[in-house]
Amino acid sequence: MRPSFFHHLHPPTIPAAQARWRYTLAAGGTAIFLMLILGVTGILEMFYYVPNPQEAALSVQAITYHVPFGGFIRNLHYWAAQLLLIVSAIHLLRVVFTAAYSHPRRFNYLLGLGLFILVILLDFTGYILRWDQGVCWPLVTGTNLLKTIPLIGDFLYRITVGGGEACSTALLRFYTWHIFGLTVVVSILAFWHAFRVRRDGGIALPPPPLRADNTRISRNDLVRREVLAMFLVGIILILLASFLPAPIAPPMPESASIRLSVLQSVDSIRSSVEYPLSTSVDARAPWFFLWVQQMLKWSDPFLWGVLVPLGILATLALIPYIFPKPADSDIGRWFPKSNRLAQVTVAVISLFVVILTLVNR
Amino acid sequence: MRRLLTLSSFLFLLTFLLVWWMNSRALKPVELIPTLTGESEYCLTCHADLPEISASHPVKTFGCVSCHGGERLALDADLAHSTMRGGANPSDLSVVEASCGGTNCHSGSEAENRNHIQRVTTSVQSTYAGAIANIRFTFGAQTDLNAHFGINAVTDDETRTGITSLSTFDPSSEVNPFIKEFGKNCLTCHLNATPREGDVYARQTGCAACHTPLFDSPPIFGENGGSQKGVHTLTTAIPYTQCNACHNRGNYDLRTMTFDERADQPTNRLQGYYQPIAQFTKCEYTLDCVDCHTRSEVMGDGDIHANQKDIQYVQCKTCHGTPTELPLTKTLTDPNDIVFTLAFLNPVIDLKLGDTILITEKGEPLWNIRALSDGTYEMFGKATSQYFTFNPVMGSSCTQTGEDQSSSYCHGCHAVER
Repeated sequence: MRPSFFHHLHPPTIPAAQARWRYTLAAGGTAIFLMLILGVTGILEMFYYVPNPQEAALSVQAITYHVPFGGFIRNLHYWAAQLLLIVSAIHLLRVVFTAAYSHPRRFNYLLGLGLFILVILLDFTGYILRWDQGVCWPLVTGTNLLKTIPLIGDFLYRITVGGGEACSTALLRFYTWHIFGLTVVVSILAFWHAFRVRRDGGIALPPPPLRADNTRISRNDLVRREVLAMFLVGIILILLASFLPAPIAPPMPESASIRLSVLQSVDSIRSSVEYPLSTSVDARAPWFFLWVQQMLKWSDPFLWGVLVPLGILATLALIPYIFPKPADSDIGRWFPKSNRLAQVTVAVISLFVVILTLVNR
Repeated sequence: MRRLLTLSSFLFLLTFLLVWWMNSRALKPVELIPTLTGESEYCLTCHADLPEISASHPVKTFGCVSCHGGERLALDADLAHSTMRGGANPSDLSVVEASCGGTNCHSGSEAENRNHIQRVTTSVQSTYAGAIANIRFTFGAQTDLNAHFGINAVTDDETRTGITSLSTFDPSSEVNPFIKEFGKNCLTCHLNATPREGDVYARQTGCAACHTPLFDSPPIFGENGGSQKGVHTLTTAIPYTQCNACHNRGNYDLRTMTFDERADQPTNRLQGYYQPIAQFTKCEYTLDCVDCHTRSEVMGDGDIHANQKDIQYVQCKTCHGTPTELPLTKTLTDPNDIVFTLAFLNPVIDLKLGDTILITEKGEPLWNIRALSDGTYEMFGKATSQYFTFNPVMGSSCTQTGEDQSSSYCHGCHAVER
């Protein structure tokens, strides 16, 4: 039987070791599956979302409550995005802990790292598109970090936010970044990344003479495993989307500031009764930036908010280039000795991020 | 592997069934597009059983959101309610301007007597200025009885009383311990104060303190909304029991600066009548407070006043006249006269053009009292719709001095015994 298009995307056979769950954790494939879901659900949301400061949060409410299955689609989009971050992080850890970044995959490692950063930015811009009460503070803090960068800070800020104040003008720009700027780049890089996996000889293994196991599996077997992974991830996603709705909050900037100014004009008659709106504003970063927010409490925002995250990124990027080269026989093995320094470095970075996130929970 | 695939695909399909099932069980939204806003709102999805709040605020015109705020599209109770103004009570004075204000509504209007919010917020009911001034004077914190402080700072640019502003009363900056105690114990009476504990004190704040009677009423919302006592209503037919929530509950003891609650639990009008007054006439307890006391007396006249006695002016002669003068009247010739609006809001009387009604010496209409052709007057109780007739003093055997209208003077002959 001639292979279908989907089968045809795969090599006729691959080494069995490249497709072991306990090696790959199915993280890379799951990430691609989640990206496809994000694309489809995102396009569906675009039919109703209105990128206008006055209407954005209301259109999110309309999607959530009034568009048929709109709430479900939005929840899917939300959870796929959160899972994508987690799965990408797992993928990165797997690659480092199994020395898979080693030559000839050094460049593809950089592509993957770039994808990871872009996914974080996509998550953040998507979060901003809610344009509700919870969003304003993280938006201002996040974009103000750009301003702390010497020389080019203001320029970066203007590219990101456009003119004016973040909370009043940035929506359209974030919308365009989210659905076009970042998405196009991510699509290209993801395609390139997958292409490079095949060009570099598939998922990392030692050179053929050093392999202990030379069995191979057919593309049919491979596709079955992929489909199984998709089913399992799909089930998890649907259950999450059904029972844990994505966060939603009342509109913030425009309407709320108008209401607050009305209040101030009748300040003379305010009594001890608390106005609920002003107290319910959440000043917390989205969960994937909680660790940065925690560092910002340690004073200098340029150091902790820009230099340290960039330093971490630079360290990760340099692992294949300046850290001791793993032994060829160690590629594709979990926690090999020849790769200890990279493992410890990444483990320390991960612990640092996780602990700061938990502290700022 | 094949078995695993079959099982997982089956489970995958099951989750879709779950999604379909959950969707079919979801609330069916009930849409309302009020003519005033033209914007969809879905509050009626859950609140369809609430009665209309009043004849002048039909839900089809106003909807819910223009008064209550809240998230009009949300079907999740927490989100929908999260931005409501004043919680369940949008008329709380901290939010009343946003809820009830506006030039077409109850503030900023050029029409006389329509700026209810401005009137109420400057009235002694809100400022408590008289009590504060009296206490501060009594305990030596000020040398005159003029009002300098209110519960909240207010200003009046077009003062007719000479008081242009009140500063916020701050008990913590007072020196005298009695005044500090007063600040601690005695500020539960003004219009926006949280009422004292207990059913007899139960009332809302702001406009609803008077216009949303709580007496004998079921809770506004069911268990999920928390049982806030009161009905979803705004009325001008305000029964005396509503006024009693503040005005008839006991006395402040100036020696201890505490509130002494009245011990009895009155069960009828006679027993419930304003207790510190030993003598009173029949009409004082058979009628409701709003039958005699006018809008400007109760809600303020737009000026800052130093004391209750500066704003309260209705006397016996307002309705009954004196031996030499009949009460003031006005014959209705203008179909746009505000009395028709008042009678529409509280339809106890069928007013027609050409009818003659009583008016006060300040010209306020006593629209529920009509002069009859035989020289007597008929009156319809605003809260009870009860029908009364009465005679003028002129032509009777009353020997009063027309100028003396103090209550004790009239009570001398007309008091009833409790």
